Amino acid sequence: MELFEQTFSDIRNYIEGKNCRFRVAAEQKTPWPSGKGRNVVLSDEMAVELGSPQMNSVSCLIWTENRNLICDGKINLVGPDIKESNGQSLPFGKIVLAEVSGFDEAGTYDKYKEMEAVRYSLDLKGYMIRAVSQYQREWSRISREAVQKGFSFKVLGSALREEYLKKDYIHAVEILFVTSSGEDVGELQEITKNVGRTISAMNKMLSEIDPDCDECEYNDVCDEVDELKGMRKTRDEKRMNTNG
Amino acid sequence: MDKKTKTIALCGKGGVGKTSVSALMIKNLAQRKDLKVLAIDADPAVGLCTALGVQIKKTVDDIRNDLINSIKKGESQSKAATLNMLDYELFDALTEYDNIGLLAIGRPESEGCFCKVNSLLKDIIQDLAKNFDVVLIDGEAGVEQINRRVMKTVDHLIMISDTSAKGVNVANTIKHLAQDNKAVDYKSMGMILNRVRDESEVLNIKNNLPIQLLGWLPEDDLIREFDFHGRSFLDFPDEARACKTVKQIIQDLQIL
Repeated sequence: MELFEQTFSDIRNYIEGKNCRFRVAAEQKTPWPSGKGRNVVLSDEMAVELGSPQMNSVSCLIWTENRNLICDGKINLVGPDIKESNGQSLPFGKIVLAEVSGFDEAGTYDKYKEMEAVRYSLDLKGYMIRAVSQYQREWSRISREAVQKGFSFKVLGSALREEYLKKDYIHAVEILFVTSSGEDVGELQEITKNVGRTISAMNKMLSEIDPDCDECEYNDVCDEVDELKGMRKTRDEKRMNTNG
Repeated sequence: MDKKTKTIALCGKGGVGKTSVSALMIKNLAQRKDLKVLAIDADPAVGLCTALGVQIKKTVDDIRNDLINSIKKGESQSKAATLNMLDYELFDALTEYDNIGLLAIGRPESEGCFCKVNSLLKDIIQDLAKNFDVVLIDGEAGVEQINRRVMKTVDHLIMISDTSAKGVNVANTIKHLAQDNKAVDYKSMGMILNRVRDESEVLNIKNNLPIQLLGWLPEDDLIREFDFHGRSFLDFPDEARACKTVKQIIQDLQIL
């Protein structure tokens, strides 16, 4: 099975099954000022909080080389937009779907880490993000000033897409935001649970010096997904060559 | 032009009223509502949190110990993933009150040397601090703790002392450590005398003081009352002498 093939299909079904508030096209160039590296939003100046540690939250990125699985530039929103949520703390789901090329056994994990870092490079005035990829959690805040000036999921999604497309191996990006309820976010957590396990398996395989595959908690994932099998084979070959 | 963060660290012997002065400084700084103030309680006793009437959820050392435990269990992540996780946890540990963010360093409990973890945490605290206009660190007696556990460079290093010879000696030792042993980098250094009973005490000490005297606060019943009843110094009256003196020191230092 191809990496994330099932997840793509599940997410597409999720989007179709939910009452999407909008599906808009991303802006080509995001018209939003920079925060000049100062992006802490304190609760005193905050309008909306998404996915705080007290709320349900899920965030992940999945990729494919199959162009047909992505609707490039589309931003899907399930639930209220930012300006409709003034003063609220909402559960939050964010899934980024990316079309990529050139992912091979040797470079996939490094490219994943680069893609993972993209969200932290967003520098939008009045928007703060904190995230833990290990737990697939993302916590963000938007200031009152930003909301007054029109900050929305279209602005956020467009800026995010623009950042991803700066990588020469990313060719198309579609984004799903969910703010409707903890249950809807929980459903998304279930769908993307395997994404987290796959990434953890890659991390373990490539960062530990001598992992024991028989004892490993991710053994089942590595046995099932073709890309992981390939990565494991490449790693083992490298190890054999090194050991002579 | 990008705004520059001003950092102030207060040090001195235990019991000289360092925390009360820190709390009064924060009160004055935070009155500028257009500014964000980060208060760092670097004293293991977390007295600043009490002086500001704030309950803390967790300390930096709780985060440190969680990370050390996960490393001991064999859980590994890339450096970038670890930094992002610490950044998330640190923001979660930040207690917010109006335009003030309060971070308590706490007491390290794990045994052994985890310099790498301390260094990562220091990087993250420095990154967080850049988002604030003013950072005030209420330190321990030893200035080296500020460097080791909070940050390497501060703009203003302020020694707090009472009028006792012991207090002034400790302040001089801190000065020596900071200046000659480079325990912490600073741009300016000065002293505030606290609990002064008679102005002649100030004149006596000032003549032999190898540090600039920034100001002095008299023995103050109102401060004692706030301390005794655990009242928040954010409610300390603006017209009280101690508050006015601290405001003047902030102006003289051109912190704002």
